[in-house]
Amino acid sequence: MSVKYIPVQWNNNKYIYDVVMLAGVALFLYVFLYAAPGLLSHERPVNPQVHNARAFGACAFVMLTVILCIGPLARLDQRFLPLLYNRRHFGVMTVFVAITHASYILNWYFAFSSSDKFEALLFANTSYAQLGGFPFEVFGIFALTVLVILAATSHDFWMKFLTPPVWKRIHYLIYPAYLSVVAHVSLGILQDQQNHVFTVIFIGGAVAVGVLHLMAALHERRADAAIAARAAAWVDICDVSEMSDGFAKIRLLPSGERVAVYLNDGTLSAISNACAHQNGPLGEGRIIDCLVTCPWHGFQYDVTSGRSPAPFTEKVPTYNLRLDGTRVQVDPAANPPGTYVEPVAVPGHAQQEAPA
Amino acid sequence: MSDKNSPFFVGYLSAPQALRTFLMVICVVFVSGLAGLGLALGVAQDDPGDGAFRFDYGRQTVTGVLEMTPYPVVRVTEGNERIADGQTLMLSGQGKNSIMTRASPLEGQLVKVSGVILDRGDLEMLQLRGGRNGLSAVEGTAPQMQTEQLGRWRLAGEICDGKCLAGAMRPGRGIAHKACANLCLLGDIPPVFVTTQPVEGHEFLLITGPEGTALPPSAYHHVAQFISLEGDVERRGDLLVLKMDPATVEVVR
Repeated sequence: MSVKYIPVQWNNNKYIYDVVMLAGVALFLYVFLYAAPGLLSHERPVNPQVHNARAFGACAFVMLTVILCIGPLARLDQRFLPLLYNRRHFGVMTVFVAITHASYILNWYFAFSSSDKFEALLFANTSYAQLGGFPFEVFGIFALTVLVILAATSHDFWMKFLTPPVWKRIHYLIYPAYLSVVAHVSLGILQDQQNHVFTVIFIGGAVAVGVLHLMAALHERRADAAIAARAAAWVDICDVSEMSDGFAKIRLLPSGERVAVYLNDGTLSAISNACAHQNGPLGEGRIIDCLVTCPWHGFQYDVTSGRSPAPFTEKVPTYNLRLDGTRVQVDPAANPPGTYVEPVAVPGHAQQEAPA
Repeated sequence: MSDKNSPFFVGYLSAPQALRTFLMVICVVFVSGLAGLGLALGVAQDDPGDGAFRFDYGRQTVTGVLEMTPYPVVRVTEGNERIADGQTLMLSGQGKNSIMTRASPLEGQLVKVSGVILDRGDLEMLQLRGGRNGLSAVEGTAPQMQTEQLGRWRLAGEICDGKCLAGAMRPGRGIAHKACANLCLLGDIPPVFVTTQPVEGHEFLLITGPEGTALPPSAYHHVAQFISLEGDVERRGDLLVLKMDPATVEVVR
């Protein structure tokens, strides 16, 4: 949650996340760069510049693959949600690794001629009309450009400035970027490989990303279908006896939006399921210190008004709701973000007395 | 939807006790997994071949007749302990630069060349020093050099730039290296055809366009591809020269 913008709002979990991430990346590079050459039986070694470029390129691909697996894993199993928490640091680190790869390539393959190396990158191979020998470098250029844009706009300031929907759409570019990386590798180094270990790891990584996203999409679709089956004018949520204090039920509304209905100290309130920060699923969070807490980054909201506690300024829409007997029902028309809605008391449910 | 029984992680609070073991396992798997992948990918690199700059030989200086194929070669008439008389060396400048402008006025003349050898099997190239230190005319009449016509051949293989292939880069061939090879060829570095089947005992042939012209622009699209083509082969000393017929190029794979 934010009041003023600082580069990084550090906490212990972010420190641990970054240390583990850096340890993994450093080990990958160390082993590739310094341990692996001793195990190769080449008469003469691969040029250090090419070896370095391969190490950083392979590392960037592995990092990007892991990053893209985190999202669907967290949708399929909530125990993976902590990996999502600081993923943007992982992304920014990936950009630096990818830039290092590009620098080695640029300063080796495209250097030593009378032409500018950046110009040479664009004109040296123009065989765009053929698959074999296609200038695969353009896919790398596209992917790197996207990664730099995403890293540069990863801070919450940019989300506020661009608005969350625009920011989110820009950051969906990660998928074309990943496809572009796959094309970059497939039409490049993969064409030359005699040892197929790399091929197997590369295809395995790319397939894992695809399959996990497909599984997560099917998972969401099944959940949405179950929710849609229960939709009506006043949308029936559940029997009040099914609700647990401090937790929510999520339902899909006819508009396509999702509502999170919370039972809070014997009263019912409904807010949008989408967190104002990064559209995190508020209904998958819980009430901590009387505030709905997002499971992604811990943004908090008053469940009766959809407002973050002062001095924070985030707001989400609220919904009117009623009790029809023991059935909890929601009016599908959302109130403007931050609108207070009187909570509906649940008869027979003990509420805490305010201290005198 | 969360429930009472599942642990709930909030980034700025301590991780729930019930999640800690799981997260610890994830950390160990992540770090060791990346180390394992680094090793697996690092040792999966193919052998780049034995080509190399032979700085260990020291600077080589020999005398011979300069010929333009149109790419410059020197037919050695007065060699040294490493470069024998009768040998033919392809010539290049520093980096991806040719010596065309220096060499053209000296075509057919007796010259002294000096530089460092690049060596890969029966493929040898001399990277010349700058200016007259690398290439200069010498006194004397150039002897008549013989060129033997070996007829028309159909060959399968790959067009490469002769310098990277000879050892300026390891690896110096293949699709991943195509743009670099093109850049060398645009700089008039002598191109080389690597055959799958040796021709008269040679695996590498200097390749030119038809009738001794420069490599045609259409050939650049086939650099680093596995192709077959036809052309006239001639022998100049210990170097074979393939004059390709662009109309006969076929992509094999």
